[in-house]
Amino acid sequence: MSSNTVDTDQMDSQLTTSGETAEDIEDAWSDYQFQGEAKLSVEDLDVYYGDEQAIQSVSMNIPEESVTALIGPSGCGKSTFLRCLNRMNDRISSARVEGSVEFDGENIYGGRTNLVELRKRIGMVFQAPNPFPKSIKDNISYGPRKHGDLETGLLPSLLGRDDTAEEMDLVERCLKQAALWDEVNDRLDDNALGLSGGQQQRLCIARCLAVDPDVILMDEPASALDPIATAKIEDLIEQLAEEYTVVVVTHNMQQAARISDQTAVFLTGGELVEYDDTEKIFENPESQRVDDYITGKFG
Amino acid sequence: MSNATETELRAGHSTLGRQVALPVLGLAFLTFLATWATTFQWIDETRTVLGMTVLTLFGVALLLMAAGVAGIGVLSRFGFLDTTPSPTAGLPVGIVFGTLWAFIGMAVSLQYIGNTIVYWGPIAFVLGAVGLLTATLPREDIGSTVPSAVLLAVLGGLIVAGVLDATWVYEAEWTGAIFPGSELIPLLVSVATLLGVWSAGKAKEGFGAQGREVGAFYIIGTVVFSMLSVLALLIWFIVKNGLDTFLTGASLTGGHLNVPFASISFPFIEVPFVTNVTGSLFVETPGVMPAVVGTLWLVFGAVLFAVPLGVGAAVFLTEYADQGRFTQVVEVATNGLWSTPSIVFGLFGLAFLVPRISGGNSIFVGQLVLGFMLLPLVLITSWESIKAVPDEYRDASAALGVSKWQTIRSVVIPAAMPGTITGVILGVGRIAGETAPLLLVFGGAPYPSKSPNVVGQFSFSTEPPFITNQALLEPASALPYQLYATITAGVFPRPEIYSNQEFGWGTALVLLLVVLGLYAIGVASRLYFRRKLHYE
Ligand SMILES: Nc1ncnc2c1ncn2[C@@H]1O[C@H](COP(=O)(O)OP(=O)(O)OP(=O)(O)O)[C@@H](O)[C@H]1O
Ligand SMILES: [Mg+2]
Repeated sequence: MSSNTVDTDQMDSQLTTSGETAEDIEDAWSDYQFQGEAKLSVEDLDVYYGDEQAIQSVSMNIPEESVTALIGPSGCGKSTFLRCLNRMNDRISSARVEGSVEFDGENIYGGRTNLVELRKRIGMVFQAPNPFPKSIKDNISYGPRKHGDLETGLLPSLLGRDDTAEEMDLVERCLKQAALWDEVNDRLDDNALGLSGGQQQRLCIARCLAVDPDVILMDEPASALDPIATAKIEDLIEQLAEEYTVVVVTHNMQQAARISDQTAVFLTGGELVEYDDTEKIFENPESQRVDDYITGKFG
Repeated sequence: MSNATETELRAGHSTLGRQVALPVLGLAFLTFLATWATTFQWIDETRTVLGMTVLTLFGVALLLMAAGVAGIGVLSRFGFLDTTPSPTAGLPVGIVFGTLWAFIGMAVSLQYIGNTIVYWGPIAFVLGAVGLLTATLPREDIGSTVPSAVLLAVLGGLIVAGVLDATWVYEAEWTGAIFPGSELIPLLVSVATLLGVWSAGKAKEGFGAQGREVGAFYIIGTVVFSMLSVLALLIWFIVKNGLDTFLTGASLTGGHLNVPFASISFPFIEVPFVTNVTGSLFVETPGVMPAVVGTLWLVFGAVLFAVPLGVGAAVFLTEYADQGRFTQVVEVATNGLWSTPSIVFGLFGLAFLVPRISGGNSIFVGQLVLGFMLLPLVLITSWESIKAVPDEYRDASAALGVSKWQTIRSVVIPAAMPGTITGVILGVGRIAGETAPLLLVFGGAPYPSKSPNVVGQFSFSTEPPFITNQALLEPASALPYQLYATITAGVFPRPEIYSNQEFGWGTALVLLLVVLGLYAIGVASRLYFRRKLHYE
């Protein structure tokens, strides 16, 4: 708690010495205008874990059909922020969220949000791979099945509605998109826990795609992958951005620079320091602290 | 790595130690078996083998073991064997030997000097101290061989010298009990051989860390072996006594397997004792079929009642209820319920359920009472296994837009299934053999002349309770109940065919088979769910 305040103070003094004030920075990017419509707009978002504040009044608009990267040092609240966007923070009993997040113009923190429906439309890939202890195939068809989009088995086939063929198509398409098909197509009925960590992570991405959400939130999707698989995932993300809105947390600066259209930089204490076109952030950031962080001097 | 090469290098030298230690181990193990065979009277202790009585043979074996163990220890101490002993055998070993010697001192002086602490106290103390010091002070190779060798030698010597023989009686003043030598000596010898096993095991690996590990391994191995033997013995005992009854009139092809809905029948195994009814005057071989059917219905009903309720409660307590005081209280209460004596459940059934449901003993009340007994175990085990399901699965499912209830059904419960089934297996093992509550709420004629026809007696109506089943509301017989009636009251009605004893053993064997069968079903289904959950 108290260390948090001290940290902020230190940062402030750092800011002042580098000749900037908080307001300057605020002004510099707060009128950031991207092209296209805002898919998600976050307004004055605060998140507390118990008494500890993890996100400090963050406001930002996330445009549709693009890749938005969230970067920042470990523990600065990137995952927390991401979880606010599909209300996964509701599942942490100590977490408290204030402010508003509008999804297609509707406040998801307003009165009667249907969380199940919301999460169908805003999918998420977690920082640590978490496949179900089921077969690879069942992992992918799990979501659609539960939503009633796929019906297989004895009863549906008796009723003349058997989607086995559709299921196989879906599995193949999603696995191909997640660059996993070639490695697992001969063992779709094997348990997913038998895959390597990187394969599990790609399976989780495929599982998320199978639900066909509008927005995909990814928390360091490539952190457990080798360079080849990482390149495949990066391709996938860029390709997804043609149809979907992608928000991706990453620790890898080059990756953010390569794949994202706009980048938001969070710094310790959970504040959003700068948010702009990716090129601008990496070439000519407004804030000295962001520059220091990107060049590796600070953070 | 260096350790392994060292052992290899040394192997040439320590061959002698191994060559002595291995026969000692073998001899100790055989003696151990023989002592138990004697205790169970399969070997008569007065029998002569190789010109000696069995007891003398034990004495000789102990002397040989003592010589072997002490030999290795001494040779190692004076550098003739290449071993790696520690400076001392350690305090725990010292305490064990000290206690042993103190106990021996006490037992001997109580017998031969008198029941006065002034005598046995100092003797026990001195011997204990000697045991402790001889085990801990010298280097490990002496400390862990010589004390046990001395014990083996003293016991062996006394037996061979004829001081301890079958006619000797331990009859100390402090207790009214008398222990005849024919029973006590095998027990003493078996304890002594355990010491021999331990010392020889250590010596075989040249003492040191590796020796300690192997010594412990042999001791534990012997104990595990004895435990399995006791289990095997129990089963063997029942099979031996029950098999004759069980196989009365049995044949491999005498029976008929009728194909349903077709008038074909194949020759089949015939076991009339299992398939016949008990009480009718017209059956040639009275059987236990009604009791088997009764037991199976009881177990089936209890499982049907307890499993959905237990799992449902566990789901509610983990997934929906706030974790806190309330769940703690439920947990304590559940554990208490599981430890409640079964006769108390029976009494509850008798006082509360019987008058309200059937007005007399009935299968249905029996099922309910056993179900109540099973419920807490199912609740506890499924609760624990649902708690153990990682939250990541729940998060992953929620993030896919799947509702909580669907998540529980398709992810949480399957992942918790193996643990739940373990609980059901344990519980079914208990209730299938339960007798006390059945006496109060379930049992009718112990030897019925027909099996309860539950399946055929369902009748439906348009008024509450909509479904009734007359068979479930009538008393029946179950295997443990029938066994109890046969053994205690001795009322088996056809003494010209089976004596009470014979019929009882036969029933016990069938009960054992039924329980093992239920166990097998449980284990198989657990395996099925595990396979589904893990990559195997
Ligand atoms: N479940 C929780 N309960 C309490 N505090 C939490 C919880 N999750 C995160 N925090 C705290 O919130 C702050 C932000 O955490 P968060 O996981 O969002 O960081 P992050 O930026 O994702 O870090 P990383 O890059 O290491 O993943 C941290 O100080 C962390 O200790
Ligand atoms: Mg994180």
